[in-house]
Amino acid sequence: MSLFDRFRRPSNQELDDELRQHLEMEALALERDGMSPEDARREARRRFGGVDRYAEELRDVRGGRWLEWIGQDARYALRIARRFPAFTTIVIATLGVAIGANTAVFSVIDRVMLSPLPFPRDRDLVRLYAQTPNGSDPRFGVSYADFLDWRADTRSFAGMTAMTGSTVTLMQGDEPERLSGLLVTSEYFDVLQVRAALGRLFTASDAPSEVTSIAVLTNGFWTRRFGSDSSIVGRTIRLAGGPVSVIGVLPADFSRIAPNLDIITILNPAIIPNVQDHGQHMVGAIGRLRPGVSIEAAQQDLRAVADRLSHTHPSIAGWSANVFSLRYEGSRTIRQPLMILMAGAVLVMLIACTNVASLLLTRNALRQGEVTLRRALGASRGRLIVQMLVECAGLALLGLALGVVVSIAIVTLIARVAPAGLIPISGGIPLDWRMFGFALALVIVATVLAGVWPALRLTAAGLARTMREGGRGASESFRALRTRRVLVVTEVSLAVVLLVCAGLVLQSLRTLTRIDPGFRPERLVSARVSVPNRYRDSSQIRFVQDLLQRLEERAELEDVAAVNVAPMAGGGINTKIRIIGRGDPGNDDLMANATVVTPGYFRTIGMKLVRGEDVSWSVGQLVVNEALAKRFWPNENPIGKRVGFGRDTVGMPIVGIVADIRDRGLGVEPTPMLYMGYQTGASVVRTITLVVRGHGGTETMVAAMRAALREIDRAVPLYNTQAVPDMVNASIAQPRLTTTMLTLFAGIAMVLAVLGIYGVVSYSVTQRSQEMGVRMALGAQRADVVRLVLREALVLASGGAVIGLLGASAATTLIRGWLYGIERNDPTTMVGAAAALIVVALLASYLPATRAARVDPVTAMRAE
Amino acid sequence: MDDIPVVLQGTLDLLILKAASLEPMHGWAISARIRLTSHDVLEVNQGSLYPALHRLVKRGWLSAEWGTSENNRKARFYRLTAAGRRQLATETATWRRFSAAVNHVLAET
Repeated sequence: MSLFDRFRRPSNQELDDELRQHLEMEALALERDGMSPEDARREARRRFGGVDRYAEELRDVRGGRWLEWIGQDARYALRIARRFPAFTTIVIATLGVAIGANTAVFSVIDRVMLSPLPFPRDRDLVRLYAQTPNGSDPRFGVSYADFLDWRADTRSFAGMTAMTGSTVTLMQGDEPERLSGLLVTSEYFDVLQVRAALGRLFTASDAPSEVTSIAVLTNGFWTRRFGSDSSIVGRTIRLAGGPVSVIGVLPADFSRIAPNLDIITILNPAIIPNVQDHGQHMVGAIGRLRPGVSIEAAQQDLRAVADRLSHTHPSIAGWSANVFSLRYEGSRTIRQPLMILMAGAVLVMLIACTNVASLLLTRNALRQGEVTLRRALGASRGRLIVQMLVECAGLALLGLALGVVVSIAIVTLIARVAPAGLIPISGGIPLDWRMFGFALALVIVATVLAGVWPALRLTAAGLARTMREGGRGASESFRALRTRRVLVVTEVSLAVVLLVCAGLVLQSLRTLTRIDPGFRPERLVSARVSVPNRYRDSSQIRFVQDLLQRLEERAELEDVAAVNVAPMAGGGINTKIRIIGRGDPGNDDLMANATVVTPGYFRTIGMKLVRGEDVSWSVGQLVVNEALAKRFWPNENPIGKRVGFGRDTVGMPIVGIVADIRDRGLGVEPTPMLYMGYQTGASVVRTITLVVRGHGGTETMVAAMRAALREIDRAVPLYNTQAVPDMVNASIAQPRLTTTMLTLFAGIAMVLAVLGIYGVVSYSVTQRSQEMGVRMALGAQRADVVRLVLREALVLASGGAVIGLLGASAATTLIRGWLYGIERNDPTTMVGAAAALIVVALLASYLPATRAARVDPVTAMRAE
Repeated sequence: MDDIPVVLQGTLDLLILKAASLEPMHGWAISARIRLTSHDVLEVNQGSLYPALHRLVKRGWLSAEWGTSENNRKARFYRLTAAGRRQLATETATWRRFSAAVNHVLAET
């Protein structure tokens, strides 16, 4: 019994019982001594000194009281929160916005960069690339011949597969439909280790002789086109190239690596032109590392093989190879912008915590009396610190609730600003437990950053001193004010860093959007058409001519033309060229971007023909842009000169010069361009892009194009229809996204910093109201008082601004890559950011300043 | 009651152990017994009594169990354990040495 009792902790109820029993015994004894029952009871209570006080001490003696404390403290915190409603609201809003911003950015990063691919041991999956001779492009396509040798001669890979995109036309239904297809070697799914959601997938035993007869559908296509009908397996669907039998459907999460893919078939190497040539970089390759092999080791292994091949095959002399983790390949371009946005969000978090810490210090000054009393009544310091932290955590948790809402709003904003494909957010970002866990971690961070120090400060004051100060803690509140000034300067400086960065990217974006692309994108629509294989040679050209003519007859369309790659579609073929009549040294490494156009293309998209004439349908002719003319004939008239491709020694004459356009993104400088007539490039350009300018809106124009195409051949689909202005905008989508986010964060930071200044100034006005009264009694004017208060705001804001500018000059190196047409230390932006913050801070302080000036001297002094 | 000396730090444990050594006793009875046996000179600060009781239970010198008090209420009775008895003997010896020493010093004039 006694042993059991020693390890059992009495419950609170038992403690209360015991103490109450003591009181009763005492009262009973007093009654026996002749006191009246009431008097006895009162005297017993007096002798005891208050049951509550000892109950608190007693519970402290026992172990395991922390949980119990937190329960009590949560209730207490709720009371305190209600006692300071303005404080509570501001803290929750501040933390909510900061937690929301951080959680939003984290969830995007998590989704894009951290979460594993939906394949077993996805870390072993790598993307394999060829690397161009001078290393200028580390991610070049692989030749099928290289792929075969890589697969045969390396030892680091458990499996390797090659694939290439394909153009597939589905011939079922009223309209032929263009599908996005992928051709893969039969071990593709074995390498990825994907399992079919339905039916089966390819295995190594599916010989390439069966090439066109079997296909695997993606989940998205199966749902969209066949309504998730599970009887699809074994059915035959009609494609332009012949019937194929569907053997299986992929799981839905496969879309993580290929979002818009519809159908996968087996790659028949026979369709690759010059398949034995190591220089035909036509396929992509994915490998699976053997367990335990690092990417670096695999890279060494692969490079050794690639180097040997580059020595034996002249067409790939100097080429090398690279191995990159497949998981990170998809998010490669967006990774750095996201990390910088995360840094911005972290700054917002720091500012928010600084703000909350500063608010807590002020509020704590008001609670000094309460704390002094509780300590006098026997509460230990640790006990009070726990209580303060529980209060802070409670506020942060409420902030989290708001933060979830804020983060949903921000993610929605990101999804809207971000172009499709830049961030793979298909169907939005789910609010999952990882996100919630991150937000919860932020609550802890906020509690520690914002709560610990004020709690230590509040409880540190010696009992005796604060009691002497009448429990008001006057000097403590002055010290708190000094600390708050330091905190405010800190948050102002952090806000200035964000403001400068936002200012720079905003101006870059403005410069970008004002750039003249050199053509007129408005009312331009582009659409792709693949000329079917049954139209060969001259009939292919006639097909295109017919189509253009019928388009021109349409009332909705004004100008029409065709090109191999639409402007802004990231285009052209980078080709080695030779200037006829120049010796070999003069022809070394001449590269130009070749585009195939039909006559009228320049007029249609609004390019300026500077000199000479357009290409024609009849003979091989070239038009060059000014950049090429200037590069190769700086002091000569290029018209009449001849240019050949590769080893061609006859070449074609240049007949015209057009002004440069920015057709690969507004921020991309024009490069030397060659435009050749369609009939010259027709053999390699079976898929053309129609470009039309018309009226009635994109949909009307697309409908007109469809109708014209149907008149010629009902079996040919029109696809990839796009409004060119949208493509121009998409080319600056990433700057737009990063700028929007940074500006948002900078705005939040500025509001928080100004709130901080306002808080300090208005608090110090309250503290100094007696002083103000004295000043005014001694003859100071109201304007003097206003000036006095504003001076404090000015000192705080400009102090923070100066420190912030120093920080900004370091931080802007991070965003150097995003800047366009502006230096990273642009003085106007720097001064502007600092000035903006100071002005807003002064405006915010004007309210407390006028309040100080309205102080009635007599009342203020009497309060002393 | 200002003339009642505050119980010296450290001697409270000794007084409680001694009081509880006769029979199991509840808190009030222990404080009453100390007051009685000290002829009303020593008054145990009630706020110290209960923390001390719980501390002694934790150390294993006292055991506690619920019983019925003389006024027919549930009360917690404290009983000296074997370890408590040894502790009482040690502390008594220490106190005797200490008070004898103090007396010697005071007698020296």
